[in-house]
Amino acid sequence: MNEPILQVNDLHYYYNDNQAALNGISVSIYPGERIAVIGSNGAGKSTFFLNINGVLSPEHGEIFYHGTKITKKSLPELRKNIGIVFQDADNQIIASSVKAEISFGPMNLKLPREEVSRRVNMAMEYMNITEYGDRPPHYLSGGEKKRVAIADIIAMEPDVIIFDEPTAALDPLNAVMLEEVLEKLSAEQKTLLISTHDVDFAYRWAERVLVFCDGQIIADGTPLSVFQNDEVVKKASLTRPVMLDVYEELVRNGLLADAGVYPRDMREFRELIGK
Amino acid sequence: MSHEHTARSHTGRHHHHKGGHRHDTGGSSIDFYACHSRIRHWNPGFRVGFSIILLLFCILANHPAVSCVIILTAAWITVGMGGLSFRRYFSVLTIPITFILLGSAAVAVDFSRQPIGDFHLYLFWGYLYLTYESLLNTLFLILKVFGAVSAMFIMTLSTPSHELFSVLRKARCPSLIVELMHMIYRYIFILMEVQRNMRISAESRLGFGDFKTSCYSFGQIASNLFIIALKKANAYYDAMEARCYDGTFAFLEEEHQANPKHLIAAGIYLTALMSFWLAIR
Ligand SMILES: Nc1ncnc2c1ncn2[C@@H]1O[C@H](COP(=O)(O)OP(=O)(O)OP(=O)(O)O)[C@@H](O)[C@H]1O
Ligand SMILES: [Mg+2]
Repeated sequence: MNEPILQVNDLHYYYNDNQAALNGISVSIYPGERIAVIGSNGAGKSTFFLNINGVLSPEHGEIFYHGTKITKKSLPELRKNIGIVFQDADNQIIASSVKAEISFGPMNLKLPREEVSRRVNMAMEYMNITEYGDRPPHYLSGGEKKRVAIADIIAMEPDVIIFDEPTAALDPLNAVMLEEVLEKLSAEQKTLLISTHDVDFAYRWAERVLVFCDGQIIADGTPLSVFQNDEVVKKASLTRPVMLDVYEELVRNGLLADAGVYPRDMREFRELIGK
Repeated sequence: MSHEHTARSHTGRHHHHKGGHRHDTGGSSIDFYACHSRIRHWNPGFRVGFSIILLLFCILANHPAVSCVIILTAAWITVGMGGLSFRRYFSVLTIPITFILLGSAAVAVDFSRQPIGDFHLYLFWGYLYLTYESLLNTLFLILKVFGAVSAMFIMTLSTPSHELFSVLRKARCPSLIVELMHMIYRYIFILMEVQRNMRISAESRLGFGDFKTSCYSFGQIASNLFIIALKKANAYYDAMEARCYDGTFAFLEEEHQANPKHLIAAGIYLTALMSFWLAIR
């Protein structure tokens, strides 16, 4: 494959001296990849994200963006190109109206007014929040705030977008809408990293899965290879995706021929059954 | 400015609507009304300017008839044009009314050893007394204050804080102050919500059952709130840094062009008011 967009070498991070939150993370991320980051609570996913965005500086280890090493000096460049949607939207929203909030990132990029305005409107349309534009954020519900937080980052148009548990607060309709947005962003060749506890989502959406456990990456591969590896599933206390279980059960009971094509969502499953 | 802000925080806490309208954050209802005002599309600078001019005029003119006119027009602008229901407008007004009445009672009533004045009341060591004149003066004072407050409410009930901040910024208010106001405003709501959530969760676990546990719970919540405030400040800063924050707060501000019709109407109104005052003075 081509050159990695982001390369992380042996990253260590400590919140306090005796316990490592990240303990030797090495990973290469390539342009346009769709990566799901999974792992139990406290495994270090959020910490990892904050490190690659340069918000936290690692104790030890290096990060390369497009082959150039990230130092204090090149940090603004890194932040311009890597956007992060925080786990807790309340910690991200600073302005007192939704529109102003979304314009904060683009304004910091020193873009001309018209461009900022265009991006703000685009992002609001993407996230289906155009009607809230003039409201103060504290009159929005949790899920609506989350969508504002996502629009914040979309408006900055970074190459790499990191979502820290985006689906956690969304209702089913908006979760589906979020997946459509992710699809669109993918089509625009954005590199996407998403942490999630929803294994079904990870299984159907991602093309690569990173499994975190106690500050280390214990598995890195296609969703299928990761979830079929019982040892990894057990160690990271994951559950297997329903779709995978159903398929294997059907094959084992001879109800379905084992063709090696694993359905990832209901649509693919229906096609398989229909045959 | 400070008056305006205290008014904001007071409303949130002290007044309850009888009707079904309620909102979850326990935040300021004034701000909520402002967001839904129908005159919001007017140029904010115009709105703020107009209500300040009206406020100053009401004080300088110092004439009860002028005050009455201002009270009526302010109500008409906010209720008639802004589309706020009269009941809500009234309930917002009742907050300053209480202060005004209490304050003017102290102005109206005097104290003396002799039984003088038009009305008096014997209290162990002297007389509280009222004269017709002092009563009338107080009435005028009430009208004046009331007029000034309703002039101010034209602005408050149609301008959400973020618009106000941008007007201040354009009026060359030091950016440090405007940014601080921005942060403080947003932060108040976050802390209020955190506090509310902790309180509710304590209550649901019987944390306010008797006096002793209440004190204990209150202490816990207060100290926890302090720690959370510090943590949130950190998280906030991180999130801002992640979005390329470089020390200056910059938001996109919408430009509502001042409508010449509004300017002309305001000009005519103020001139008429002025001539009215000159005529009856
Ligand atoms: N601000 C902090 N101060 C001290 N320790 C922290 C802080 N944030 C996280 N930790 C610790 O670091 C470890 C990793 O936390 P992290 O937030 O990265 O987990 P996570 O994988 O994102 O979990 P979750 O799925 O719950 O979001 C945890 O053991 C946590 O207790
Ligand atoms: Mg996390």
